[in-house]
Amino acid sequence: MNPAPVFTFTCPVKTNSGNKALEHLPVELAGLNAGNPLIITSRKAVGQKAIQTLLDAFGDSGMTLGLFDGVTTTANPDLIEHLKSIYLEKKYDAIIALGGYGVVDAAKVLNLAVSLKTADAHKLSPATPIRGHLSPLVVVPTAAASGLETSKFAHFNHMIYSSEYLAPNLVVMDPRLTRGADGKTIAATGLAALGRAVEAQISADHNPFRDAYSFAAIRFIKENLPAAVKKPSDKKASLAVLNAASMSGCAASDTKSARLHKLGQVFYDIQHIPPGVIMAMCLPHVLGDDLKEGACDLAALLHPLVGDDEFARTPAAKRAETALAVLGRFLSDLYGTLGKDLPRNLKEACVPGYRMEDILDGLGQDEEGRYLKTVVERITG
Amino acid sequence: MSIVKDIQSGRKPLKRAYVGIFLWFTGRAIQATARVDQEVKKEFDNLPDDFTFSLGCLPDGPCMVIGKEKGKVKYLGSNPGKRHVHVRLAIKSVDAAFLILSFQEGTAVATTRNRLITDGEVPYALAVIRILDIVEVYLLPKIIASLAVKRYPKGWSIGRKLGGRIGVYTRTLLGI
Repeated sequence: MNPAPVFTFTCPVKTNSGNKALEHLPVELAGLNAGNPLIITSRKAVGQKAIQTLLDAFGDSGMTLGLFDGVTTTANPDLIEHLKSIYLEKKYDAIIALGGYGVVDAAKVLNLAVSLKTADAHKLSPATPIRGHLSPLVVVPTAAASGLETSKFAHFNHMIYSSEYLAPNLVVMDPRLTRGADGKTIAATGLAALGRAVEAQISADHNPFRDAYSFAAIRFIKENLPAAVKKPSDKKASLAVLNAASMSGCAASDTKSARLHKLGQVFYDIQHIPPGVIMAMCLPHVLGDDLKEGACDLAALLHPLVGDDEFARTPAAKRAETALAVLGRFLSDLYGTLGKDLPRNLKEACVPGYRMEDILDGLGQDEEGRYLKTVVERITG
Repeated sequence: MSIVKDIQSGRKPLKRAYVGIFLWFTGRAIQATARVDQEVKKEFDNLPDDFTFSLGCLPDGPCMVIGKEKGKVKYLGSNPGKRHVHVRLAIKSVDAAFLILSFQEGTAVATTRNRLITDGEVPYALAVIRILDIVEVYLLPKIIASLAVKRYPKGWSIGRKLGGRIGVYTRTLLGI
């Protein structure tokens, strides 16, 4: 493999994964010079049991923890301003985000507000300059994760913040929290990870560091997502899916072209459909177009999807087509397992017509908007 | 009323007690084994005269301190006092200590799972691990000791196994 002559890669995220990984949190926080953390979560999204598991992990640490468990999908700058005041007043020194999606995005923006000590959190915007490290941020994802938790992005209040300093310092994945409530949830998490990892893997500007993350993420998903969907309580499989989601977030931070990511994110922002569901619908169309255009290295997908032997047996000229066929079968099997729980098109996903206008408007603002709209037309159903 | 609740982290008295008792017993057993077993004695002989090591759990969990005094190995309780500790083995939490000391995870597995912090010279730390392995073999039945050590030793004579075990247990219980 020949890397591009010049490339950069940043992944500041430390990962702790596995049995009782949560119990290392007090020591890890001490390593980050923190001993008075504020936990941000959504009781409705993660459940009381997950919160209690996290609190129990601090047993015997002697720490006092702050807990805010009311993050909702409509979290706004008012909430961030309120939390910022409390954070500074009570002298918290780290943020722990328990959950995924909006919880982590809110935690990232709160971290920005408390670290920059802005006079008013309402004035924060993607244009706000971030010139140095922020306060320690720890992410503890649950089964319902977007995969962007470990990335440098924060989608908040219809804006996208982007800075390598927004990425968490530490992500802790513990099988007690990564077990899925149902196959649908873990499938959405895994498919979002797959979509982003695929885009990173086939990206024209090869980067060996990013490839390492995306390669492992694709292989983890291929080998573990079917088992996790069939049996969401399978600790090993669901932990592997969350690991893949974490890796895909690191890879996505350094991926320039991300059509699937954009499509998934627009539908999530406007209709709150998990990005993985939309990315799975769009994946065959977008990759099919990439194959025709010949702009992306689709052949690079085959190795992580089928393993060493099958990859070596396949002639180089047929690797791209074979990879697409393997992905198609993989998705088809998932649709077969989940039935109506995993919609195959927008009609099955019950996206109302009046929302479609907003969605198309949202896509229209992107530089690839025209193309992305054609993909949406093909998945309408 | 604030939207942020302050919660004091709980306690884990049962696990803490188990770990405390285990470390207390193991500490005395190390002292006893150093007098009974030639291999352990040799390991300690190769260490500095004032050598001291501790094994405990963070942040302020139970701990055992073993040190050499005038050529003899002694269990020094849970506090090293003013002694210089050459090797400090710290388990990251009382839960991790419970996993290791209840033999759900062997020492080697726990190390690979990043549950232990070693502070000190690596050769000294390896000597301590070898000593701990031999002590565990004396203290535990084979089926449990196999879980705790990386490789259960082969080729021990019946005399060493049986006589040594009797000697170690007697000295441990009597504290001599």
